[in-house]
Order: sequence, then structure tokens, then C-alpha cells
Amino acid sequence: MMPIRRPAAIAFAAGLVVIVAGTAGLLLTRHSTPALRPVAAGVAALPAPTGPIVAPPQSAQPAQVASPVSLTIPLIGVKTQLQTLGLAAGGELQVPASTSVAGWYTGSPRPGAVGSAIIVGHIDSLTGPGVFYRLPQLRPGDRVYIRRADGSMVEFRVISVQTYPKDHFPTQTVYGPTPDAELRLITCGGAFDAATGHYLSNIVVYATQVS
Amino acid sequence: MKFPRITRRITMLLAASALLLGIPVAATANATAGTGWIRLAHLSPNTPAVDVYLYAFGNSTAEIVLHHVAYGTVSPYEIATAGDYSVAMRATGASPSSPPVLSTSVTIQAGHAYTVAGMGPESGLRLQVLNDELTTPAGKSLVRVIQASLKQQVVKFHCSCGGDIAPRASFASVSSYVPIPAGTWTMSAIASGSKASMPVSLVAGTVHTEVVLDGANGLEIANLVDAAGAGRPPAGGVRTGFGGTAPHGPGSPVPWLAVIGAGALIALTGGLRLRRHGLRRQLNTGV
Repeated sequence: MMPIRRPAAIAFAAGLVVIVAGTAGLLLTRHSTPALRPVAAGVAALPAPTGPIVAPPQSAQPAQVASPVSLTIPLIGVKTQLQTLGLAAGGELQVPASTSVAGWYTGSPRPGAVGSAIIVGHIDSLTGPGVFYRLPQLRPGDRVYIRRADGSMVEFRVISVQTYPKDHFPTQTVYGPTPDAELRLITCGGAFDAATGHYLSNIVVYATQVS
Repeated sequence: MKFPRITRRITMLLAASALLLGIPVAATANATAGTGWIRLAHLSPNTPAVDVYLYAFGNSTAEIVLHHVAYGTVSPYEIATAGDYSVAMRATGASPSSPPVLSTSVTIQAGHAYTVAGMGPESGLRLQVLNDELTTPAGKSLVRVIQASLKQQVVKFHCSCGGDIAPRASFASVSSYVPIPAGTWTMSAIASGSKASMPVSLVAGTVHTEVVLDGANGLEIANLVDAAGAGRPPAGGVRTGFGGTAPHGPGSPVPWLAVIGAGALIALTGGLRLRRHGLRRQLNTGV
């Protein structure tokens, strides 16, 4: 009789183990992960770029400035080349092809010229952080550096960091004209809509050139 | 004491759900809407260089100090918190605590830009606050003229784009802004005794002020850029994320329920067989 009884007991025990495991799995995955993006601990801060820094443009006879080629934000470990971006067919801003590179909208003023220069980067890819993953951590007073094609460098000071729902994006405030040399760093934020595959908000960092 | 506790809990819950949904809770209280821009200018031909001070209202420490500002100087714009300010002019090198030669008040509104200029002859020097335009009609540029030549009291300001921006600008006057198509145009200041011309490139979406000055050899033109923006502003926000680091809600419970179900099935089968066995053994032993 034993040969029959033993498998039955094993099956019974195994079934119980599976039930316990399934219940544990169910309970452990019931609470959602925190909805706020965790602050990345131990950000690898970069040294500020070295070299002479160009003064802000004068109102009178402002000089032509060269195109931007790279962006450094030492505090949040960002160092990226800048690709050029245009407008898509629908009139919206193109985004960089790579999630690890930022881009400058060629229809906006060049960084360091009068007006608001627009720079865009991804917050993440399908699998991990993008070039602007830590952008929301910037605070007023933080420094941003742009190097231009002629080797000159301009330094910006963060004025504010704003989050806007994409369906109420203040186009004029973000893209509109300014009388000083400013910078707009734009990425995604807020809640992620898994159904559409897009974030619901944009994060915009406003910065002005340091004199 | 129960009621406030419940209220507090509800408030916290609402705040938490607002955070979850990505709704700005305090409606972004510190919006950039809180700042404007200001620049200072010396446009009085026979007034010597001055020191110019900008004070926030009720604050005796200057926000901005410009030393040795000579005729024809226009400072870059500075960002300033919206509110009331005063601008004071003192002779170059005068003590900051000495009474100013001239002062005026200016209210900076959020999102607006201002030029505060010393205008007129030295004998009638005044500080004038100009509202500077930031936005242009689509595809155009805006241009205005400040006539700051004392030697030529009346000046005609002409644009090769096809018209006079200011047909008869008298000394210390400011014209209104005129929309002009983008392009490179020759701007001319023409008076009975002198004429000056210079090419000016106008990019769509930019705002310019042309200042007519007394130069060493007759009239001069200074081309100021008051503001610049994207010629074609993009539509709406940007799609710069794929969700790889997005916080995710709890996954579907179905796989775990299936596991539990399978376990129950296995256990049941085993249990039933054990029980049947037990019965049979009882029968066999004849109990």
C-alpha cells in the first residue's frame, strides 16, 4: 500500500506549499510602490567645466553667438552632447532619437543670445534612466553650462523648476520671447500613463545667463 | 476631537491622491510668473556719466548698482522679482548714502520688461519708465525709435522696408512699436544737418529699439535687441519619456490567484487520494 500512499501525501504537501507561496506572492505585491519618483541617492556630481565664461549679451549691438554643442549640469551629473531638433509635422517639438542625449531646438535662440534657448532630453527609456532623469532635482541657484561650437562657454543660473500637465502646457511662458539670455530645459514628469505610454506632465527648468 | 482627525485624514488622502495623479497640489506657488525684467539707460547727451541704483521699495540696499554710466549706455536686462522699485541717479563716485540727483519709482509686473532711461537735456533731466514689448505679431519684428540727439532736435527715422518708423521724432521722444517684416533693412536717421544709416537684421519674433544718438561726427544709430523668442514656437509639450523609471501600481492579482488555485487543486487531489487510501485500509484491517 505504501507506494500509492506516498505520492498522494507528497502531492498534498506540495499543494499546500504552492498555496502558501501563491498567497505570499499575492500579499507581497498588493501594496503599490511609492508614486513619487525616488530621489537618486549618491548622485555622481561632475566638476564644473573649466575655461573662460562669456558675459551675457548687451542690449546694444548684440554679438552673434555660435551654436551649442554640449551641456553640463555638474550637480546632477549631466554631461551630454547636444543634437539639433526641429519641429515635427504636427508642429510639436522633435525629441532626441537617443534617450541618453539632449537636443537644442534650432528654431529657438542660441544659448547666450537674447531670448529663451530650448533644450530637451528624455527622463527615461523603456528600461532605465534617461539623460534628464535627475532634472527635477535642480533648485534655484544651481548652475548649468553650455559649450558652443567656437569653444566659448556660457553659464546659467536656475531660476525655477516647474511641472505642467501636458494638456495645460503654457506654451507662451515656456517658448515665448525674453529680453535676457535664458535657457529652458524640458523633460517629462508626473504620472505615467501606461495605456498611452506617455507621462502626463512636463518638467521645465528656467535658467538665466550669469553675469 | 474625532472630527478634526477625520478631516485631517481626508485632507491627507486627497493630497496623496493628487500627488499620485500628478496634479500640482499648491498650484505651483513659486511660478516664474513672479519675476519681470528691467534695464537702465543714460540717454541725455549733455549730462555727465552717473551712477545708477535700483532699490526694491522700502529697502535701502540697492539690488543693482551701475557705476560710471555714460551717455548712450544701455545695460543688459536683469531679472527682478515683481513689485515696486525706485531708480536713483547720483553723480559718478558720489556716496551711495548721498541724496540722489534724480529718482523715480517703477512697478515691475510679472512677465513684463521695462527700460528706465535718463532723458532730456541736463537742465531738464528726467528718468522715464518705458514699457518694453516682448511679443510680436506672427512672423514679424517690432521696432521703435528713441530720439536722443540734442544736436538735431527733429529727426526722421526711415526703414528701407518701405516707410518711416518715426516721421518727425523730436528730441527725448519715444515712438510706438511698428511691426516690420523679417529681413535685413537699412535704417536711416535723417535730420537737416546730419544723416546716419546702418543695416539692421530683423529676425521674426524679435523686438528692437533703435536709438538715435549724438556721435563724435554727427548722428549715430544704436540697435538694441529688446527681446527674442522662437520664430516658430513649438505646439504643446514634449514626449520625453518611455516610463522605464515610472512608479508602477500593483500588478494584476490573476497570476497569483492562479497559483493558489493550482496549489489547491494539487492538495485536494493528494488529500482525496490519501483519504480514499485511509478508508480502504480501514476496511482491509476489518475495523
